[in-house]
Amino acid sequence: MIYLIAALKGLVLILLLLFTFAYLTWGMRRGLARFQIRLGPNRVGPLGLLQPIADAVKAIFKEDISVANADKFVYWLAPLISFTFALAAFAIIPLGPKGSIFGIDPWVADLNVGILYLFAAAELATYGIFLSGWASGSKYSLLGGLRSAAGLVGYELALGVALLGPVLMVGSLNLRDIVDWQAQHGWLALWQLPVFIVYFIAALAEMGRTPFDFVEAEQELVGGFSTEYNSMKFVSFYMAELLHWITASALIPTLFMAGWHAPFGLPEIPILWLFIKWLVFIFIVMWIWASWFRTRYDVLIRFAWGVLFPVALAWFLLTAYWVASRGGAA
Amino acid sequence: MSAFDLLMGVLLIASALAAVTLKNAVHAGLALVANFLSLAVVYFALEAQFLGWIQIIVYAGAVMVLFLFVIMLLFDAKADVGLDRLPWMRPLAAALAAAFFLALAYAFSGVGPVNPLADVKLGGGLPKALGGLLYGNWLYTVLLVAALLFAATVAAVSLVQPQIRKARVKPQVLERDRELEEVGK
Repeated sequence: MIYLIAALKGLVLILLLLFTFAYLTWGMRRGLARFQIRLGPNRVGPLGLLQPIADAVKAIFKEDISVANADKFVYWLAPLISFTFALAAFAIIPLGPKGSIFGIDPWVADLNVGILYLFAAAELATYGIFLSGWASGSKYSLLGGLRSAAGLVGYELALGVALLGPVLMVGSLNLRDIVDWQAQHGWLALWQLPVFIVYFIAALAEMGRTPFDFVEAEQELVGGFSTEYNSMKFVSFYMAELLHWITASALIPTLFMAGWHAPFGLPEIPILWLFIKWLVFIFIVMWIWASWFRTRYDVLIRFAWGVLFPVALAWFLLTAYWVASRGGAA
Repeated sequence: MSAFDLLMGVLLIASALAAVTLKNAVHAGLALVANFLSLAVVYFALEAQFLGWIQIIVYAGAVMVLFLFVIMLLFDAKADVGLDRLPWMRPLAAALAAAFFLALAYAFSGVGPVNPLADVKLGGGLPKALGGLLYGNWLYTVLLVAALLFAATVAAVSLVQPQIRKARVKPQVLERDRELEEVGK
């Protein structure tokens, strides 16, 4: 019975994420168009709201071409890996208190080692990108794939070390404990401001968004790792990319801004507050996307190793000293 | 033995075999990733959650990403089976492998019957419980694994040795030698 409920909750979450993905493509194109003083998709349905459905139909009926030079097995495997692990990470984000949605807990999995699960999912998702780069049998794809692998080693380290401070303060790896701790003691974004900034920058790199979208830099690499993909295989990469954006925008408030708890003593309503915080981060990322330039690839690597990582490490040591001097986590 | 034990055993052995037999280096690397992931599943079944996640993050994630990165960057992704440099080594290697398996059988015989997966609790993968097992009952096995790792290191070094031993001659030097030779004539 427990497994059945978990499976059903997982299914509902996947459907929700896919729906969000579909309408994020619409919202993203309309939003970016606003930034660039143009209209964006507005022909299919009122305000262009049926555009995602039209796009889906088009993608499904497109001829599925595979490349003669490709390594067939890995070429097929890569989009699957990308897509699967992009979906997986959202499962442990709590949307509200225990039993708040018709008596059901609003999360799919409640893991004691939630943070570790996040890193595992993030790292395995990278496989999709860089295997596709290798399997496509194209130099541009390979360059995109190699960039993603080298980038991963850079920013994932900063990402991981940045979370050590918050984990030490809370004294738990469980996302629910982290959220509840913040409801009592205030946002971790205030307690841990430097690593909050580090985490946000590293998360941008992990999402592959501007300023760090060098994995698929059009001007240099055609389409990067996904150059040789089309129809549904391309769509699954696209989905994975936007799902990373969706997940990270929910994860940052969960880790640093008290998650589903209401800010400023407003009434607590499950899901609503997390949704608002999520929208804010979706918008900030889109804003950066519309108004920033792409950094060079080696600049990110140097920045991740030379700035993000030392800052996160120094802050972690500081936090460790502070926690130890207070005699353990609060 | 439950169906789960059997399935994971088959998966582990099959992926390990694939990792050493596949001709394409990237495919072999992927088989190794599959092996690490199955091992993580076994850890989860033993209720060693922490160990399982670390296995995924460190080995399947970081180590293998670096590994595959190097393969993609440097090799043409074809396993270099090439010529056999030390042919007289083969029977010796076979004999040593047989001796190793005998030693392994002896090490396992000292442990007694292996408990079903579900009965062995690693206590959440805590270092203390783990250390007691590794350096108690399983000491011989650990030592043998250490010997195997050492042999692998020696093999890796000896494989790349010839290229290192031959000092690289700069093209400029070659050019000058040729010119000197011409002048000498």
